[in-house]
Amino acid sequence: MAIQTVSKAKIQTAGRTHFRLVRRMSTALVVTFMAGVILFTLFPFYWMLKSSFQTPADITSLPPIWFPTHATIDGYYRAVTLYPVPRYLLNSLFVSSATAALATFLASSAAYVLARHRFPGAVFIMGIVIFTQLIPGITRVFPIYFLIKDLGLINTYAGLILAYLGFSVPYATLLLTGYFTASSPPELEEAALIDGCGHFGAYARVVLPISLPGIVAVGIFTFLGSWNDFLWSSLLLSQGQMKTIQVGLRDFFSEAGNLQRMNSFMAACVIATIPAILLYRFLQRGMVSGLSAGSIKG
Amino acid sequence: MTRQRYLFCYLMVAPALVLVVALGLYPMLASIRMSFLQYDLMLIPTQGTPFVGLRNYQTLLANPNFVQALVNTLAFVLVAVGGVVTLGLLVAQILSREFRGRGTIRTLVLISWFIPPVVAAGIWIWMFQPERSPINEILRGLGLMHSDIRFLTNSDWTLGPLSIPFFAISVVRIWSGLPFVITFSMAGLQSIPGEVYEAAEMDGAGSVQRFFYVTLPMLRPVLTVLITLLAIGGIGHFELNYIMTGGGPKGLTNILAVMAYQFAYSQYRFDLAAATSNIILVLTGIIGFLYVRQQIRER
Repeated sequence: MAIQTVSKAKIQTAGRTHFRLVRRMSTALVVTFMAGVILFTLFPFYWMLKSSFQTPADITSLPPIWFPTHATIDGYYRAVTLYPVPRYLLNSLFVSSATAALATFLASSAAYVLARHRFPGAVFIMGIVIFTQLIPGITRVFPIYFLIKDLGLINTYAGLILAYLGFSVPYATLLLTGYFTASSPPELEEAALIDGCGHFGAYARVVLPISLPGIVAVGIFTFLGSWNDFLWSSLLLSQGQMKTIQVGLRDFFSEAGNLQRMNSFMAACVIATIPAILLYRFLQRGMVSGLSAGSIKG
Repeated sequence: MTRQRYLFCYLMVAPALVLVVALGLYPMLASIRMSFLQYDLMLIPTQGTPFVGLRNYQTLLANPNFVQALVNTLAFVLVAVGGVVTLGLLVAQILSREFRGRGTIRTLVLISWFIPPVVAAGIWIWMFQPERSPINEILRGLGLMHSDIRFLTNSDWTLGPLSIPFFAISVVRIWSGLPFVITFSMAGLQSIPGEVYEAAEMDGAGSVQRFFYVTLPMLRPVLTVLITLLAIGGIGHFELNYIMTGGGPKGLTNILAVMAYQFAYSQYRFDLAAATSNIILVLTGIIGFLYVRQQIRER
């Protein structure tokens, strides 16, 4: 009896140490793996920032300098003076904001009735919206190029905004239909209708204000979609000063052989990324505060 | 009353619908039509745009560069989507555990999400510059390599569609797609109730077994949507390949979308461009069809 208990205890401790060892090894494995992943995702980001603050002499040195000892904003100065980078940024800001505003305006009206009302053809219309989402951009770009050309809108902001609406509106409609279905209680509209608001009144005065956080979030997503675009703007707005920043970055590529200018190219890359990251941070905070504001009121 | 309500609905939906049809459906149909015409900008003034039937498609299939681009497109989807889903799922699995610093690590891993594709291409072109590449520097330091890898220009070694530039671009495509996959998978993992894991643990399942016998089957619906979306996006992918190599060297990284773009804007052959882009449409359609069929079967 006594012997049995002793051996049992022995076996148990042996098992536990074995188990602990396996566990430690797997923890070490997981930590190493995650360190590798973080290095993979973060390192290019570091390399861009580092290079943007180096002098032309440092950036071309062999072997490469990993940790620069003297930083300079020379790259940034050159980036904005060699090419009209500030102007490109403004072009992008304007086109993307206009697209986001128009797309969310059109999409929220459509999404609202698609989510909240039953009417003949609603399912069919929703089907068209989903289907359009799946047509690859490259399949649409050639006929749209001719369409914009026929309208006399090549190399105009309006032409590019129109093309962007082609993919932003279905995207925003889909997102907002989901949003309207999930949020904004129908009782509110019913109350507004009883109080003598028409359908438009109920939508504009009741539904829109309480749905604003969701609409803003979708607006930011459509903004980023246009901001990041290269394909459409390279075709529709490729001339001179009017380029968007993504196409403008190609000015630097044309001299990719010229390593001397890599620091200003990386600086331009940083500049082209900042607005997107700021908006992303805003989106994270805005969503949280929007949701909490809703719950307090509710 | 009902008529008034219908009128309201149609008025609200009309502007968006007009745009979606004019800029979504119409261009698709116009592109299909264009692929059956002779639409060579150089010949339009003298010959117009006569109907030529399937000639453009025949021209494409007889072109070895096209066949290469088609194979590459599919190979990129397999390697990049396979890679990004495997990696993203593993990371999501780790990040959905509770541990200190989880929030920080999540932010760090998701940072590449909002880097515009052109910027991503720019950074990686610079990181792949043979003599000054930090990757070559590390490999040399470890004694693994004696000569620099020419990531984007080496065409010496090939195995079917696989080559060094092919893998280099795949890495960038995985890098830029990873945050989306992690976020998507984490949302899916959260939907699996904790009790299922507890039950599996009680039955003596280890963490590897739990992953294969609990997580993967429970995650299948989410993974199906994710892979469908990634495959559809991957087949029509354009930016990274176009900017980083323009399809070279020797067509090793050429894909259908890049080829279509070059047909149109370097050769003014919009007919061949439209035909190429319709092949992309068909491939996308096949994936969409497979997805819908699978959804119907599961019901």
